[in-house]
Amino acid sequence: MIGSDKRTGQVSHFWLHLFLVVFTLISTYPILWVIVVAFSGQQSLAFADVPADPGFLDRLRAILPWPQTWSLDNFTAVLTEQPFLTWMLNSAIVAGLTTVLGVFLACTAAYAFSRFQFPGRKAGMMSFLVSQMFPGTLLLVPIYIIITQWLGLGNSFVGLVLVYSVTAIPFCVWMMKGYFDTIPIEIEESAIMDGASRQVIFFKIILPLAKPAVAVTALFSFMTGWNEFILAATFLEEEVKYTAPVGLKFFVGGFSSQWGYFAAGSMIISLPVVLLFLYLQKYLVSGLTAGGVKG
Amino acid sequence: MSIVAGSSAYLEGDTEVQTGVAGFLLHPVAQGVALAAALALVLGAWFVGQARTEILTDHWNREVIQELMGLAESAAAIEAADKGRSEELLGVMLTRLPGTEGRDAGYRVLRLSGARLLASTASGDVGDMAAPRRLSREEKWLFDLGQGIRASVQTNRDEGIYRRRQVEVDEVGDSLFRISLPYFVDDKVAGIVQAELRRPDTTSSASLPLTVGMGIGAYLVTLLVLAIAGKERREKDVAFHKPWVLFFAAVAILSVVAYAYGRIELGGVERLYRSAAAELAADLLEIKESVGFLAGEAGVTVSPGEDNRWDVDLYQRPIGVIDGSGQIVNAGLEAQTAVIRDQLGRALRLNWIAGLVVVLFFGLGFARRLRRTVREHKYAYVYVMPAMIGMLLLAFFPFGYGILLSFTSQTVLTVSEPITELLVGFQNYINILGDFDLFQKTAEGAVINYQNFYWTLYITVCWTIFNVTVGVTLGVILALVLNTKGLKYTNIYRVLLILPWAIPNYITALIWKGMFHQQFGVINQAIQMFGGAPIAWFDGVFSSFMTGLITNGWLSFPFMMVITLGALQSIPADLYEAATIDGADRWQQFRHVTLPSLKPTLIPAIIISVVWTFNMFNVIYLVSGGEPAGANEILITKSYKIAFEEYRYGYAAAYSVVIFFILVFYGIFQTKMTRATEAANA
Repeated sequence: MIGSDKRTGQVSHFWLHLFLVVFTLISTYPILWVIVVAFSGQQSLAFADVPADPGFLDRLRAILPWPQTWSLDNFTAVLTEQPFLTWMLNSAIVAGLTTVLGVFLACTAAYAFSRFQFPGRKAGMMSFLVSQMFPGTLLLVPIYIIITQWLGLGNSFVGLVLVYSVTAIPFCVWMMKGYFDTIPIEIEESAIMDGASRQVIFFKIILPLAKPAVAVTALFSFMTGWNEFILAATFLEEEVKYTAPVGLKFFVGGFSSQWGYFAAGSMIISLPVVLLFLYLQKYLVSGLTAGGVKG
Repeated sequence: MSIVAGSSAYLEGDTEVQTGVAGFLLHPVAQGVALAAALALVLGAWFVGQARTEILTDHWNREVIQELMGLAESAAAIEAADKGRSEELLGVMLTRLPGTEGRDAGYRVLRLSGARLLASTASGDVGDMAAPRRLSREEKWLFDLGQGIRASVQTNRDEGIYRRRQVEVDEVGDSLFRISLPYFVDDKVAGIVQAELRRPDTTSSASLPLTVGMGIGAYLVTLLVLAIAGKERREKDVAFHKPWVLFFAAVAILSVVAYAYGRIELGGVERLYRSAAAELAADLLEIKESVGFLAGEAGVTVSPGEDNRWDVDLYQRPIGVIDGSGQIVNAGLEAQTAVIRDQLGRALRLNWIAGLVVVLFFGLGFARRLRRTVREHKYAYVYVMPAMIGMLLLAFFPFGYGILLSFTSQTVLTVSEPITELLVGFQNYINILGDFDLFQKTAEGAVINYQNFYWTLYITVCWTIFNVTVGVTLGVILALVLNTKGLKYTNIYRVLLILPWAIPNYITALIWKGMFHQQFGVINQAIQMFGGAPIAWFDGVFSSFMTGLITNGWLSFPFMMVITLGALQSIPADLYEAATIDGADRWQQFRHVTLPSLKPTLIPAIIISVVWTFNMFNVIYLVSGGEPAGANEILITKSYKIAFEEYRYGYAAAYSVVIFFILVFYGIFQTKMTRATEAANA
């Protein structure tokens, strides 16, 4: 039994609950803030107008996460008047293609690393790990030059998709390899005896068996594409081609401060990601710590 | 069986031998020479083509510039003499310029003061738009162009060097070009003259028959050498073979081919430059006469002078190849051709080295061994290939290229120049690491120089340490509380507390930026609620640092919490029971049971989160933006700003390499530490 709980009983739990409630309130405040700004129907940062000589209650009113009026204006405006829907669509295209390509690249490579012994196997896997240490800004300029000037893919989704897929490769490969390692090799051996080719084994037997890992890989690739900000901000020049993150920054960056649009957009973008994240976080954690231990 | 092939087997320590004619034709040495020659020649032809194109383009530019310089001088003289008549006089002059008919060119003379188009023969400026007139609103680009040139001249004069171009060459349409340069009145830029005309195709290439011929020749000579070597050996003793001889023969053949090719093409390029210079000289005489005559009609005299002020490069530096009387200056010509020879020669030498590497690769048998390995493990390589290509193209190659960039002075202005021209050795690193001027003396005394690398490093280290401490402390405390036996609703708390991690961090960062707003932000409202004064968060070094710390602390504690919680739940309960029986109090239990059990999980998590925090770009970039005055920049955001706001690519690359090495050292140190503690525990 853990310590003094038995003796102090309810009192101890009361303090713990108090602590947890206060902390949870503080830590969810920014989220409440963004929800309230989104539903306030205004572009302002403040929840309420503060009079010229505010008293304690006026101030309290200004920080209490409750809008003066509830309204869906920001959501309708963001989806209809602003090009946000286009940006979401762009993000969906980019993230979707990244998922397809990323999963393909990761599964094939991980399968080879897991099942074949070949010269360069160890070096290849190590090189994937080491690449995680390359500082992003060192790669940014050369990648920018390669994508825009050599491949002529500047200001296009294809360039972004290529970069995102490759960014996601090392983590996905290591995770997929770990999963493939757990699939007994006897299954493949008997398939070979039955005359199945390598392609058939991979696509018809191994991939279906590895569905859970493929799902996590797909999600990781999708989130890479859906959440990425710097590369997209650097590569995309036209407003119509912005992805959602760049678009959100556009609402509140520089000299514009359309916080209402920003908040509404943030909610729309975050909701699917947050749900997926809560659903899958245990896989992510195990993947991350496993990588950490190995590295 | 061919003995030649046998020799290759010896060379490679390989028993698999190709026989017959195919074996002879595809002998590794022959293959190597053929491929190496092809590589060196194709690259060489490309470089030569570039050099020739550049000479022709430059030649055409200078033809136009000579004329424009004459025109600019005339405009300056006319404006200086009598401003009232300049529109009329220049109008007449433009229509009679030889280029107007000869080249189908249009000219403009723009006076910057008053944005007045003094005269124009450009195709658009007819009818209502005919000069003289004031520039219309749609023609702001022309005025901006003039202002840009004026600014460039001013910069160059202020700095005493030629850094910015004073002659603008813009391609405005399909092979349609505008060339503009300034005219000076009272030694100030008074306006610009501009020519708008089509440029004939100036692309040129290396001689195709020569390139192909040289390649085939190299291959045939190699075969000949192989045949002779084979015959020799047959006649004498089979045991007597020296594969190294063949290898050196291959190197020699490649070298001779590369050298001969370089000589011939360099000679050709040099001749092209000389003939272009001669043409320019003739052209100058013509322009001198016609422009001189037209200027004379307008009542002024102009001349390129003894030293030929009219023949200048894009920075308006005299080129010094042609003098004022249209004679070639030998010393100048030699100097110019020497520059071209050096540049092209260096490129061709690099090609030769690349070719040698290929010969080495084949000659020493790597190629065949590689081919055999690939055949043996065909499936494995097929499966790895797509990911590998992606990684090579977009991770490893950029990494190598970034390191190369770090030794250059490349900026956005010099991206198109060959990288070998911009090499500066370790200069960038010396500038970054050797700059110890942490304090600047100003009127108010010594002030910290926030742009200094060591200041940014200091901030980064503080940033990492504080953030990880905050994250770990909060995470562990919360995990311990949530792990309390019998506590209710822990699942709800857990989900709510994970939320900060689940939200994309750029959104989080922007939310906090809004909450830290000086006037409307809720944080300042809360401070005022308790009677405090609102804080200008991003104006002070410390408060700005705090914004980042708070935001990132909020972002990072859930990760630590989840990890710790997982580890806590896997500690067997009997450990605590045993401790209780031994009479350990709660603190002793925590110290001797909980902490050691958490260690294997927490340490990797801390290691990973140190790297994450060290590279946490979004929070700094989006919340404080490194304010005030870059004082709160961390290394990664600083290098981003150097690259994409100052556009100093080479310097930014060096900065990033330094970051990389800091991380590598951290990694090594960390591994050593972990090993040491493991050994101590064992």
